[in-house]
Amino acid sequence: MVELLAQTCLNALYAASYMSLVAVGLVLIFGVMGVINFAHGELFMLGAYVVVSLYADLQISFLFAVAVGLVFVGLVGLGMERALFRPLRTNPLGGLVASIGFLMILQALAVMGFGVRMEHVPPVTQQVIAFSDKVHLAMPRLFVIVAAVVLLTALWAFLTKTRFGWALRASAQDPEAAALQGISINQTSRIAMFIGAGLAGVAGALTAPLVSVNPHMGHSVIVTAFIVIIVGGVGSLEGAVVAAVAYSLVHTFVTTFYDGVIADIVGLSLMLLVLIVKPTGLFGTADRA
Amino acid sequence: MPRAASHTAGWLVLAALLIALPHALSFSQQEVLVFLTINVLLVASYRLLTLTGEWSLGHVVIMGVGAYASALYSKQLGIYVPVSMILGALTAVLVAMVLSYPLFRMKGFYFLIGSFAAGEIIRLLWKRFRDPFGGPKGIKKIDPMPDFDIGIYSFDFFEPVSYYYFALAVVALSLWVMWRIERSPVGLTFHAVHWQDKLAQSAGVDVRAYRTRAFLIASGFAGLSGALLAHYIGTINPNSFDVELMVFVLTWAIVGGTATFYGPILGCVVLSILNEVVLRELGFEQMRPFIYGLLLICSVLFMPKGLESVVQYFMRRRPGNAVAKAQRTGGPAQYEAERGTET
Amino acid sequence: MSGHFLQIDKLVMRFGGLTAVDDLSFVVEEGAIHGLIGPNGAGKTTTFNMISGFYRPTGGTVRLRGEPISGLPMHEVARRGVVRTFQHSTLFAELTVLENALVGTHMNFRPGIVSAILGLDAENRRGARDRAEEALEFFGLLEFAGELAGELPHGHQRALGMAVAMAAQPDVILLDEPFTGMNPEETRQMMELMFKLRDSGVTILLVEHDMHAIMGLCDRITVMSFGRFLAEGGPQEIRTHPDVIEAYLGGGRHVA
Repeated sequence: MVELLAQTCLNALYAASYMSLVAVGLVLIFGVMGVINFAHGELFMLGAYVVVSLYADLQISFLFAVAVGLVFVGLVGLGMERALFRPLRTNPLGGLVASIGFLMILQALAVMGFGVRMEHVPPVTQQVIAFSDKVHLAMPRLFVIVAAVVLLTALWAFLTKTRFGWALRASAQDPEAAALQGISINQTSRIAMFIGAGLAGVAGALTAPLVSVNPHMGHSVIVTAFIVIIVGGVGSLEGAVVAAVAYSLVHTFVTTFYDGVIADIVGLSLMLLVLIVKPTGLFGTADRA
Repeated sequence: MPRAASHTAGWLVLAALLIALPHALSFSQQEVLVFLTINVLLVASYRLLTLTGEWSLGHVVIMGVGAYASALYSKQLGIYVPVSMILGALTAVLVAMVLSYPLFRMKGFYFLIGSFAAGEIIRLLWKRFRDPFGGPKGIKKIDPMPDFDIGIYSFDFFEPVSYYYFALAVVALSLWVMWRIERSPVGLTFHAVHWQDKLAQSAGVDVRAYRTRAFLIASGFAGLSGALLAHYIGTINPNSFDVELMVFVLTWAIVGGTATFYGPILGCVVLSILNEVVLRELGFEQMRPFIYGLLLICSVLFMPKGLESVVQYFMRRRPGNAVAKAQRTGGPAQYEAERGTET
Repeated sequence: MSGHFLQIDKLVMRFGGLTAVDDLSFVVEEGAIHGLIGPNGAGKTTTFNMISGFYRPTGGTVRLRGEPISGLPMHEVARRGVVRTFQHSTLFAELTVLENALVGTHMNFRPGIVSAILGLDAENRRGARDRAEEALEFFGLLEFAGELAGELPHGHQRALGMAVAMAAQPDVILLDEPFTGMNPEETRQMMELMFKLRDSGVTILLVEHDMHAIMGLCDRITVMSFGRFLAEGGPQEIRTHPDVIEAYLGGGRHVA
């Protein structure tokens, strides 16, 4: 029994890792730009397909493919900022709708480029760390966990120790005051969008060998991301990480003891509960919504 | 009154056109026509919801509730199909009533996400429980409408044309009811709740009750459209009512514009024709989500007031300012006209 | 008789650590024009919001004819006969003037959906329209019935706000700074309208900074300062009240 619990915890840790990357990216975009990026799941998918093209099809090094995934999707994010969110800055609902439109476009492009079937990316290594007979962690999964920790730490350092990071946080707190201080809204939006999208893309790239890659994989990612950021609190980065861990634990446990669909239902119901009782979430700050 | 007479003449011409239309179309086009009719009801019901300012992302799932309910009532309980359709619509209202308790404690963005979550939960329930919902495969072999004869026309529901006439009648009646509601004091209150809910409240309007009312009515009609769909295609599954359809509805509403009653209907008709004529003929059917995504983006960026604003622009240039005014606000010009007929 | 008409009894409003209103008590007599004044930040609007149901008081009660109305939602308070206007021209800008007034008639000509659909509510609608037109006429706005509310000149917009409130046939109207931004002529006209309103049987409680209007209109004035009750009396008393003068002079304002 202990072993089952331990294994479930390891599974949850892995899921929490890539979900926190996605959720933190979403919160960053919402916090700095005030807009909800519905296409975030598709950015995740894009990162996965980058790995499919470079690593699986062209045999380029996995690590390099992941890095390209991060940068490429980050650039797509920049494009979104310029073309969609900036002109609609005064109309957040319009921005949301535009991101829904972009989601459709990305999905259609994936279908046209890769077809509807699921891609299988061979994992870099088949090695497994065995803690005991029944408890083990596949190396690729460990890699995801480590990568997530590294990236989130780097982000934390960026936000607290660099000039740009301070600018981002100031914009998130009070955009007008930040503008008065000479912080350019355009610049902070660009940075936030690049990082936010990049995080989603790198999460997709990292997990590509471990999940089935298909054009519709973004759907469950965005739903989970919403649950996580609502429960964690829409303005809070720390909340997103904590909620990602908590949600993954709950979801993995319920999946293990019941099934995945029930776990999804539980997760969504949890989100509804939070929305009813405390809409600002566990760590919620003054909300921009 | 010359204006009233020309209005009636206009409606008669439209009715005649709609009745004659299927005979000019090929079989597959007739099928598309049936879907178009059902979608018009769906999008008009969505518009009623947006009248109070609520943009729900769970609306097509409520359509699905009506579909599943009507399918199950007729299949499992042997209820006569037209009756099961009505029961299906009522079931949708019931589900909406249950959902309204949690959902209407949320405003704006939270309502959006909450309605999305509620819709997903329902779809997951359909997927998970093969009994009674049929699981991922859904429900097959749904009972069709029973054939009947009204003298001047014999409804043979094997033919899309018959189903089209049937659906047309149901949808026309539903649209008339929704129109009447919008033009009534209730409709005015919906508008008031949308724009200044604090002011409405201070005048004694129970804002939450009105929002709920709009939600329930819209859900009823959405459920009805779902029932119409179910008994036409004969099979439904959770993917029939997924995010993709919701995005289509959103696109129709936004492209058409939601300020007028006909805006979303216009959006639906124009885009559906576009889909058929352009996409299918040119073989770009695969690109449909892409085109819709692009349309959605362009619409929000460049034509935020929707197609209806184009129509209104042309209408305003016609002589007879009162007509334009009535079209724009619908309110007092209407009342003034009514007062004129009473004295 | 069940005591006082509109009784504000030891009202308290706390927002987190901040006490905006502290232990406020006063009484508004039926048929009076009662003023609520005080320097900026005295808590007047907060008090208004508590009476109208926009805020739930942290402590104390508001009673109408002996029955507590504090803590009720706004529409319930309105149904009991207390209607308010808003400081910023809050109107249904997208609707016409007549439609705005019609919203005010909502409570008394409650529409039923089914009869509305079937067209059986003609009598109800006529009654509502008559009432709305009456309210518009009272404020001299009937000629603008078909105009969009958002396009009216400022003074007319404020009058429309009051017409909407009046269409609801209230017993008490709470007027939130009705004279803001008005020139002397408009102020004079508005004062006349208010007398007319009072004469038609409506009790008025108003928050206002314009001393000329307050002194000219009110039967009784309650003065607040820093969230607390400061003084109460007729215009003459208040004008010469040493505490009141100090409260205003302290903020650099003149009393009359």
